[in-house]
This record gives sequence, structure tokens and C-alpha cells, in this order.
Amino acid sequence: MQAYAAKLIDLIESKSENIARQWADDVMKHNRTPSYHSLSKEMVIEQGTDFYRLFRRMSLAKNPFEEAKSFSWKYAEELYRKKIPLQEAIYALILMRRNLWLYAEFQGVFVSVLEKTQAVESLNRTILLFDYVSYQVIEKYQELIVGSVERRIGAVKTLMMKGGMVAKRNIYKIALMIVFLFIASILTYYNHADLKSEGLFTHLFYIPIILASIWWGKKGVYVPIFLGALILVSHLIFLSSVSIWGEVIRAGMFIFIGGVIGWLMEGIKKVEEIF
Amino acid sequence: MKAFTAKLVDLTQKNAETIARQWAKDIKTNIKTYSYHNTSEEEIIHQAKYFYKNFQMMFFNESPYEQAKEIFEKYAEERYKEGIPLHEALYALILMRRHMWLYAEFQSMFNAEVQHQQAVGSLSRTILMFDYIIYVVARKFWEMMKLEELKKKDIQ
Repeated sequence: MQAYAAKLIDLIESKSENIARQWADDVMKHNRTPSYHSLSKEMVIEQGTDFYRLFRRMSLAKNPFEEAKSFSWKYAEELYRKKIPLQEAIYALILMRRNLWLYAEFQGVFVSVLEKTQAVESLNRTILLFDYVSYQVIEKYQELIVGSVERRIGAVKTLMMKGGMVAKRNIYKIALMIVFLFIASILTYYNHADLKSEGLFTHLFYIPIILASIWWGKKGVYVPIFLGALILVSHLIFLSSVSIWGEVIRAGMFIFIGGVIGWLMEGIKKVEEIF
Repeated sequence: MKAFTAKLVDLTQKNAETIARQWAKDIKTNIKTYSYHNTSEEEIIHQAKYFYKNFQMMFFNESPYEQAKEIFEKYAEERYKEGIPLHEALYALILMRRHMWLYAEFQSMFNAEVQHQQAVGSLSRTILMFDYIIYVVARKFWEMMKLEELKKKDIQ
């Protein structure tokens, strides 16, 4: 069995470029690998050759799973950079295996009954190699996707105050929000009672509104409701002679903006959970 | 060859419960299927039984790829919703195939030399079915991941 496997490995290694060319022809026109159709043929052949050469290294390695990583990671990174969808990268691997077997059959390696018997073990070995490589390629793809998502939502995560203990974080957030709401109340009182003006100060209220929505999602809507009620009540008390409609629109906008951001944040949290 | 293949599929179908239990034990301890470790054994066995039952249908279908799409897109969707990473979901499928073969070997299906010869054909057919399944599952996962990523971009 060992001798037979060695025969197959020798064939694969000595003909790696021929098999890779055959594979490149196949993968570059196959309907399940359309993204390969526009790649440079030389690059595709190089990938194939790398893979077929890995075969010997894996058969000699003490830990074939670890050895496979040298190929799998490079393969996944290259294809991910070229925006090849995962299923196509995997199907290209499947075609690599098929072409390897096609070539071996074409070369008459499996002619006799005895050789066919030995081929079962050899086939199992090949499949094991592909199992390892497929697993590692998918794992790497997933890692690269997570990395890209992490980079994209990095700024939002900073605002979300991620890191540290959950209980401690929540205390900081609540304390900070209380301070914001206290300042908002003073500003409202000062503008309405002393300056007798509706003023532009309400624009500052968007800071606690946005933060509350980022931190608590939909539940953060209680903050704009509080701030809306605050300006309306204060207006009724201190500015009763002035029309209230401006304040009503402002209060409505607080709730609308807070609600929309809160809803969007729920989506981001879901994405975070998935990745 | 056909009779031999039928024998293998028949054996898998008849012993789906036993094979599923062996597989469940494996994925609940295998380091490469970490996300399954906390899933209930009954739920895992149910997944395997679903797989082996549909695998038989696919095996003898004239267009197995179309059949794979029909059956395994649902499988992919369920695993995705359960939060199982794709590499683990696919490794679980790989282990399903291994357990199918292990059981067949254990039942001495491949003892005689002539059976070994026939096994090459049968093995090739099984692998072809798995190739289709893996492609369909990976494509469905990729679609769903891309969908989430697009939602994410819209949000930003």
C-alpha cells in the first residue's frame, strides 16, 4: 500500500505542472467557478502547482494538518483579495482533486484489479488531504471576513464602549447619561426661564440621544422621550406666550432620530453576534 | 457496481440512527467542531438523520446537484441561524461522510478483494455527492454572510 501511495505521489509531483494546467483549463471555464474566468492563467496554474506539490510534503509530515496550513492560508488570502466567493474557491479545490484523479486514471495507474484495490486506500488519503485543506480555507475566509467587518465597525464599537467588565461599563454609561441629562435640564431652564428664548441649545441634545441609541439600541429611546418632554413642559411653564409648535417638532425629531439610530444599532449588534 | 453502491446506501439508511449516534459523539468532542459541543445530543442526532435520509434520495437521483440545492440550502440556512461557523458546519458534514464509511467498514462490507475494486466506484460517487453538498452549503452561507455585510454597509 505504501509503495502504491509513493507511486501516486511521485506521479503527482513529477507531473504537477501538467495536472495544474489541466485543472486551470477546467476551472477557468467551469460554470460553477465564473470568477476564475477572468484571472490570469499563470496565476491559476501556480496555485495548482503549489497544491499538487503539497501532496508530498503532507505525506512526509508528522502532522499533515499543520503542514496543509502553509498552502491553505496562502490560497485563501490570495483568493479573498481577488474577491473570489468562498463557494467558488472550494469548488476550485474540488476540481483540483478531480483533475488529480483524472490524470492518474489517464496515465493508467489504476488498471489492474490489485491496483484498484490499493487505490481505495490511496483515495482515502487524498480525500483526507482535501478535508483538511477545505476546512482550513473556509476557516481562513471566515477570519478574513470577520477582520473586514471589525475594521468597518471599529468606530462604532469605540462609541459603544466595548471592552472591560459588562457591569462596570453599564455603570459608566448610566452615570454619563445622568450627567448629560442634568446638563440638558440646566440648559433648558437657563434658556427658557432666564433668556426667554427657545435658542439653538437643543441641538446639543443630540449628543445624549445618539449615545443612548448606540449603547442601548431601541431601549435608548427613553432618553429622547425624556428630553422631548423636558422642553415641552419647560416651554409651557416659562414660555407660555410663545407658540409651542416649534418645540413639538423638535421633540418629535428627538424621538425619530433616537428611534432610527436605535433600530440601526440593533442591526449592527446582530451582525456582531454573527461574526 | 450499482448493486454494491445500493448496498452501501441501504446499509446507511437502515442504520441511520446508529451512525447518527456515533457521529454525534464524535462532533461533540472533536476540536474542529467546537460550536456543537453545547448543542443537545438529540438535536444533533436529528440533523444527522435528516442528512442520511436525504443523502439516499440524492444518491439515486438523476440530477443530484439540483436535489442537493433543494435539500442542503435549508440545512445551511438552519446552521447559519444557529450561529455555527461555516468551517465547523462543513467539517461536521465531512465527519458524517467518514462515519458512513467507518460503519460500512466495520460491517465488513469491503473485505473481499473484488469488493475493494467495486468500492472505488462507490467511493467516487459518495465523494461527488459530498462535493455538491459542500458547494451548495458554502454558497448559501456566503450569500447570507454577504447579505449581512451589505446590511452593515447600508447602516454605515
